[in-house]
Amino acid sequence: MANDNSSDGSPKRSRLMGIFWSLLFLAVPVLGVAVFIVAPWYDIWLPKDVSEHGKAIDGLFMFILALTGVVFIATEVLLFWFLWKYDAASATGPAKYIHGSHAVEVIWTIIPAATLLFLAIYQMNTWADVKMRRPAMAASVEVVGRQFEWRLRYPGRDGTLGTPDDLFLVNDLHVPADEDFLVQLKSMDVLHSFFIPNLRIKQDAVPGMKIPVWFKATENGEYDIVCAELCGWGHYKMKGRVTVESRADFERWLEKMYAQQEATQPEPLSGSDGAAVALTQ
Amino acid sequence: MSTATASTTLSTDRVGQSLPPARKARPVAEFLSTYVFSKDHKVIGLQFLFSTLLWFLVGGLLALAVRWQVAWPWSDVPVLGKLFAQQGGQMAPEFYTMLFTMHATVMIFLVIIPILAGAFGNFLIPLMIGADDMAFPTLNMLSYWFMWPAFFAFGASFFVEGGAASSGWTSYPPLSTNVASSPGAGMGQTLWLVGLTLVGVSSMLGSVNYMTTIILMRAPGMTMFRLPMTIWAMFITAILQAFALPVLTAAGFMQLTDRTLGTGFFSPEGNIVNNAMQATGGGQPLLWQHLFWFYSHPAVYIMILPAMGMVSDIMTTFARKPLFGYRPMVYSIAGIAGLGFIVWGHHMFISGMNPALGITFMVSTMMIALPSAVKTFNWLGTIWGGRIQFTTAMLFALSFVSMFIIGGLSGIFMAATPVDIFIHDTYFIVAHFHYVLFAGTAMGVWAGIYYWFPKMFGRTMNEFWGKVHFFLTFIFLNGTFFTMHILGAVGFPRRLADAYHYETFHHLQPLNAFMTYCAIGMVATQIIFAINFFWSMFNGPIAGRNPWNANTLEWTAPSPPGHGNFDFQPVVYRGPYEYSVPGVEKDHLMQTDPPNAAEAAAAAAAHG
Amino acid sequence: MNATASAIPHDDHHDHGGAHDSHGDHGHHGPVLQYQPGLPLTRGKLIMWLFLSTEIMFFAALLGSYVVLRFGAPVWPKPHHVHLSEPIGAFNTFVLICSSVTIVLALEAAKANKQSLAKLWMVLTLVLGVLFLGVKGYEYSAKFSHGIYPWSPRSRVFEKPDLYYGSAVRARLGEPEIIDRLKALDETAETELSAEQVSARRRLQQVRQMVVSPDQQPFDLAVIADQVMPLPTEAAAGEHGGHAMGLNDIFPWLKLPAVIPGGTMWASTYFLLTGFHAIHVLVGLIVFAILLMYRLGPKRAGMIENAGLYWHFVDLVWIFLFPLLYLF
Ligand code: HEA
Ligand code: HEA
Ligand code: CUA
Ligand SMILES: [Cu+2]
Repeated sequence: MANDNSSDGSPKRSRLMGIFWSLLFLAVPVLGVAVFIVAPWYDIWLPKDVSEHGKAIDGLFMFILALTGVVFIATEVLLFWFLWKYDAASATGPAKYIHGSHAVEVIWTIIPAATLLFLAIYQMNTWADVKMRRPAMAASVEVVGRQFEWRLRYPGRDGTLGTPDDLFLVNDLHVPADEDFLVQLKSMDVLHSFFIPNLRIKQDAVPGMKIPVWFKATENGEYDIVCAELCGWGHYKMKGRVTVESRADFERWLEKMYAQQEATQPEPLSGSDGAAVALTQ
Repeated sequence: MSTATASTTLSTDRVGQSLPPARKARPVAEFLSTYVFSKDHKVIGLQFLFSTLLWFLVGGLLALAVRWQVAWPWSDVPVLGKLFAQQGGQMAPEFYTMLFTMHATVMIFLVIIPILAGAFGNFLIPLMIGADDMAFPTLNMLSYWFMWPAFFAFGASFFVEGGAASSGWTSYPPLSTNVASSPGAGMGQTLWLVGLTLVGVSSMLGSVNYMTTIILMRAPGMTMFRLPMTIWAMFITAILQAFALPVLTAAGFMQLTDRTLGTGFFSPEGNIVNNAMQATGGGQPLLWQHLFWFYSHPAVYIMILPAMGMVSDIMTTFARKPLFGYRPMVYSIAGIAGLGFIVWGHHMFISGMNPALGITFMVSTMMIALPSAVKTFNWLGTIWGGRIQFTTAMLFALSFVSMFIIGGLSGIFMAATPVDIFIHDTYFIVAHFHYVLFAGTAMGVWAGIYYWFPKMFGRTMNEFWGKVHFFLTFIFLNGTFFTMHILGAVGFPRRLADAYHYETFHHLQPLNAFMTYCAIGMVATQIIFAINFFWSMFNGPIAGRNPWNANTLEWTAPSPPGHGNFDFQPVVYRGPYEYSVPGVEKDHLMQTDPPNAAEAAAAAAAHG
Repeated sequence: MNATASAIPHDDHHDHGGAHDSHGDHGHHGPVLQYQPGLPLTRGKLIMWLFLSTEIMFFAALLGSYVVLRFGAPVWPKPHHVHLSEPIGAFNTFVLICSSVTIVLALEAAKANKQSLAKLWMVLTLVLGVLFLGVKGYEYSAKFSHGIYPWSPRSRVFEKPDLYYGSAVRARLGEPEIIDRLKALDETAETELSAEQVSARRRLQQVRQMVVSPDQQPFDLAVIADQVMPLPTEAAAGEHGGHAMGLNDIFPWLKLPAVIPGGTMWASTYFLLTGFHAIHVLVGLIVFAILLMYRLGPKRAGMIENAGLYWHFVDLVWIFLFPLLYLF
């Protein structure tokens, strides 16, 4: 059959070009995988996880990476192989005249379907742990997003928010280690997002809503709180710090901060929520 | 039968009659009606093409400015610094927010959507189905001219007080509705909404017109299941547009009244911005997100389905092989479109939406990968056993497949709700959508341009420089965007003017600098494309009717086709992908080629 | 020519409202094309159906938002509290349904080539449409006169009797126009007023004192709010369209800010939904007016039918809006 060599404008295509282009496509999976192998060496990888639920999230991430990695390599290598093998410049005879295959279609629909369904079910438990099974406890702290800072309010000695002994702070969150910790998340003005990379926590703060966020920090240290939802020109600098420490240190710190507050602000702030506090300032 | 035979065989073999008839000097009015206010779908398509390419350049330059700030925050910006930014050439953080907002707005609403539906849809639909024009040419013309006020609205927004819209292309309230909350939330945001509505009107006019045309104006014999994939994709895209867009229009109006009249659809009660209590309230910020994504998720498929269709056609032509699984390909497009309506919540997993609802959206999102899987495998099936010709168009089409796999697979990470907790609003997302949008769709668009250029202008583009363009774009784009995945894995947040003051991210600057170098290279590479494009328009080799030996109807018309498209009555006898048919002398049977002896005998037998 | 091709009716090529007018200018290079039969619809009708489906989505979004906002709101005002009158709404529904009938009659007449009859029905449709808008306008003005606007600086609706409310009342009482009228009211002899007005005047004076010198008086904003516009109670249900007479009802020029819990959002959605509906009615009326300039014979039947389709759709939207806004 006429193997139309002249059809792409150049009268003679050399096999070399076919090799060149198919290798270019082979470079995609090769370099793609290489990037993911090399990146962790340079510490460009998931930041250290210091939370209880984070292991499940990271595990899921790695699992999906492996799964999609296999699909990625398989499809990209197949693409390369077909380009290599069926280059018009080297292959002889006409192309296969085939319009498809019912059996094959069924197979490659069912296998991904089963995989994806499995994935969907497999991950649900983690999601429920992080976002649905709220521990039965009072809020450990109220966090209010505001352009461009995190306002914190600890319940104080009596353990309830909205009483005169509440402790008010900005951007400096302290958390006792190895304990369930429940944040009551609010926003005063626009959307923000409470993101602590090391704790694998992210939750939008929505004005008009109170959203609970909980976690159990497992390792002492200081970590970043990032605002992950665009909230205006200063979004980039809406930075907080979280300090994970032992229960004893945490209590000591609470006492100290409370004493400081008493000293600087003889009249405790009134108002029943963060909004009212802002008005009086 | 015999007349049809005569006319079709005649038409396919005519070459070199592509030059438009010599023109006498014409009065201005004639010029205007032919080239400016033309109702000819081809002229309108090209008008769309030129406008969108111009905006592509604008969007690309905005992207460079974004990249500059991400790589070297607070350093003097070359060129642009003198034009816009304050503080002695360095970029102000609010200016950065405007940059990425307008980058995304331009790319999505003024480039990708109009280039696919407006440019290719307009140019190709009547030609590929055998019609002389769209069903409603005046409406068609209007759909282009509605773009201009939108161009002005978006363009002007940079120069109004407070600057352009700066709440992201998603424009989440209250940031976008509350004028006090950010500088760009003033006039710039209002212009943004106006522009968006106008683009919406344009798309709407286009989409109902396309559907009507495809349903009622197919050539005799062109049944729905003989339509090329491009047309199927355009058809289903039009349906998506028609059903999803009005929702965004309604939401846009609501946001507009929130901003101008002071209604409170999206502002909650007791909102305090800049220490000032807002008077209205009672609304729900999440409502906007639901309405916005109800449109904008289907919109991402609006932005890729036409490219998928075009790539399918181009790949069959240059593999000289029938499309593998034509019907599954059609059904999977329909499946993507249908499922596309019930997955919008995957953008809102951590927005404060009920987490139980998140689970249902997660499952539907997983399922939408299925039709995409079917498409991917069928493309691979198509080149399997083919006779591949590495033309520029083919290379771009192949890279579409290769890149779409990457973009699609990263979608699976985000569809998994627990993983999305970590990667939401990080560069992992940015990597994902640039792979599907730029590495996917834009590569598909280039494939389409190189492939249909001969039909548009009667001349072929330079193949050598086309391949250079492809090679460099391919390298640079992967350099820019692939690395974003690992940035995202660190949690590097998007939309940050400067992230290096965070301990977690400060070691990522060199990587970002590398990406910016690649981005600069990528934009610079487009100079090759621009020169090739304009040079070939006037100096490229004359193409003839069917330079690629393709099967579909547009290749039976002259290049470029005259007014009314066809100089004969096209009659269709077969599907669009009859390449390498055994027992046939040519390696391809065009849709208009009358049945050969064997087929005729079979048909006669069937009819008894 | 091939059998399939010759079987194709060559009817609807120039049947789409003059949209093809540019073709004459340059002339076809090729033949007039024939097409595969698609749906048994003309182009005009098909595109009208498609256009209407986009409209359905548009109103679905608005209605959906209404439902979300309404059921997400902690309180929602009763119709009477925001001066909505079911009988008027029901009357308007009836008007619109009638107009849907008359447009059908116009179409039938046009098909039968009874041109003047068609014109008559068309005029009637137009009149009914205008009547609908008139009633709508009357309803709007009733809202405005009670200070219910969809936009905030003008709206006199407050969610709760808080400090903002108090200062708004004070501001209103301090406007020069009001001061004059209050003075006039104070000086009016009791005999010229009804018993109701006399007692209202006394209540108003108390409110003014409370607002003007809050330190000396028990300053209870809730009391003021209740005087301006009492919340509806079961007992008062019969009285004045469901709620007891407030100061604003007795002295309509007073226009004091009122407390209507959920009222702001109610006003936003009410004006949004009815406003967009009214715009659609208006567009329909313009189309009818244009149609009236032509002879309404069988040649125009297609256009009348399309306009009618659109009109039925507008009607249908109202049939959803009426119960949602007035009855529930
Ligand atoms: C053309 C555009 C396009 C396309 C086609 C897609 C396709 C997909 N997208 Fe993407 N998406 C965007 C554009 C697009 N997206 C944009 C612009 C955003 C960000 C908006 C913003 O916030 O600004 C976004 C964001 C986005 C999110 C939100 C992330 C977040 O903000 O937290 C999610 C979450 O689920 C998601 C998922 C998916 C999925 C599952 C697909 C699937 O359709 C992909 C399916 C394809 C494949 C899976 C590959 C091929 C299949 C195989 C090779 C078979 C085998 C595979 C398996 C068995 C796994 N996308
Ligand atoms: C179709 C969509 C599209 C396209 C094509 C691109 C293209 C590019 N994008 Fe963009 N981008 C988005 C859609 C797109 N982007 C969206 C939706 C966002 C999110 C915004 C938000 O958060 O709200 C975003 C955000 C975004 C960010 C994140 C900003 C942040 O969150 O802080 C970055 C950063 O690197 C970036 C970079 C780039 C780069 C380098 C390109 C390059 O690929 C650009 C390359 C440009 C060219 C190559 C120009 C080519 C010119 C021609 C071809 C013209 C030739 C001319 C003639 C013939 C006349 N983009
Ligand atoms: Cu707060 Cu971003
Ligand atoms: Cu999506």
